[in-house]
Amino acid sequence: MSNGREPQVIDTFLGLTDTLVHDFDALDMLTMLSERCVELLDVDAAGVILTDGQGGLSVAAASTERTRLLEVFAVAIDAGPCVDCVRSGRPVSSEDLTAPGAGDRWPRYASQATDAGFRSTHALPMRLRDEVIGVLTLLHTDPHILVDDDVRLGQALADAATIGLLHERAVRYAETVQEQLQGALNSRVIIEQAKGVVAGQSELGPEEAFGRLRTHARRHGLRLTDLARAVVERTVDVASLRPGP
Amino acid sequence: MSAQDGAEDALRRHRLLALVDGEGSAGAAAGGGRGTADAPALLSRLGRVCTVAVSEVRVDGAGVTVMGSLEAGVGGARDQIAATGRLTQQLEDLQLTTGEGPCLDAYRGGLPVLAGDIAAEPARWLGFGPEAVRAGVAALFSLPLQVGAVRLGTLDLHRLTTGPLTREQLADALALAALATEALLDLTDSGNGAAQEDDGDVQDAAASLTGWLPDVHADVHIAAGMVSARAGVDVATALLRVRAHAFSHSEPIHDVARRIIARDLVLDRSGTPEPGPPPEDGHEPSPETPAPDPEGEDP
Repeated sequence: MSNGREPQVIDTFLGLTDTLVHDFDALDMLTMLSERCVELLDVDAAGVILTDGQGGLSVAAASTERTRLLEVFAVAIDAGPCVDCVRSGRPVSSEDLTAPGAGDRWPRYASQATDAGFRSTHALPMRLRDEVIGVLTLLHTDPHILVDDDVRLGQALADAATIGLLHERAVRYAETVQEQLQGALNSRVIIEQAKGVVAGQSELGPEEAFGRLRTHARRHGLRLTDLARAVVERTVDVASLRPGP
Repeated sequence: MSAQDGAEDALRRHRLLALVDGEGSAGAAAGGGRGTADAPALLSRLGRVCTVAVSEVRVDGAGVTVMGSLEAGVGGARDQIAATGRLTQQLEDLQLTTGEGPCLDAYRGGLPVLAGDIAAEPARWLGFGPEAVRAGVAALFSLPLQVGAVRLGTLDLHRLTTGPLTREQLADALALAALATEALLDLTDSGNGAAQEDDGDVQDAAASLTGWLPDVHADVHIAAGMVSARAGVDVATALLRVRAHAFSHSEPIHDVARRIIARDLVLDRSGTPEPGPPPEDGHEPSPETPAPDPEGEDP
């Protein structure tokens, strides 16, 4: 990388992978990816398509509205270099969409792309090991062969964005797990405490106390944890808990 | 990270994963994907992570403690869901009693806590440290179970002899903590299938998870509830009294809890046992016995 774009490249990498920042937003990050591709690489437009994990595709970001429409079209007809790329997990490109080869392979995509003013498409996979999560599409208004340096940097940016996305997903999932864990521990603790409160205010043992709580909860259609909390916080009179039938 | 480091990590993970999966073990399928394994299989998987930690990291005991937040964990909402032996359980109990220790520090900081000679740094954990030494522990290592900044618990290791972890041992311990985290993510996700609740609570994801929690501190929470009712204080204060009694008498907190539940011990004021006649509810008098635990159960 000798053409002076290094500082920008470093900034871009940081932006793509710094998922721990407070206001990280996946769509913002992918929009940045497509815009930076135009600035850093010799390309005219860029877009990102993501998989939904069930085989479906959706357009996540694009550097221009024209690009977005072309990507949406490719997803709708389920054809084009970007679609082939995301299905195969390998780079797919057409240096000239008006050449016979491309026209035969993706006739509808090629004609839509040329209508939108694009002549060349390079699609780079967004993948980590076996998991392909999307595709970064680079577009040119003229027939174009992407130089090796640009292919490498484009793929590196796609890889960084992939890592950022997967990490963000993992963190979000872990947050859900943490909340569930906290909820589970809390409700378990509060039920034990409620057994103790009932036992402490009576002559019952903990198991009998639990029986009283459960019977009362069933009789009054209460969730056991809600009743337990009310008992622990003394908003329910323990004396009102009658023995079961 | 160099490519060589990356390859080394991958090999390490592969080796440890093979040990944890074992041959033909029931939980071998548990790593297959989220929500695919049942809770008991995944709990036993965490147990095997601990066993592998003992053999590979060369420690004398290992355990996994979970909590949803530091405050909740200090306040008693925590559970030790795997442990290789009695001493590992005892260390968890001591941390609950004193409200400090390596597990809480690792959870708080999100970094490994590596104490190769706890007797040499008595100021680190004023309450917990001396008790751990008295229990025969010389070195403690706690590793957070986390994804990014989200923490779920810790992998806790101890040794009866002093000395730091070698670089290799630390790398193994970190890799095992990662495997434990993955298992925990599976375990929690599989909670719906593990629901044991019979009170119609099953729709609530959190409630359905309670079924697989071993709930090792259940009797302490029952005891806190009893103290709360009898002393007219809230449960948080009551738990503090139970902990204070255990700490000031150097009595295992579960022994204290069992005696409270059996109404052999009444904590009515600031953790002080009631020596006199029973309170007005006419309950059987039960002055605290200073003698050692008559049941003589777990040493």
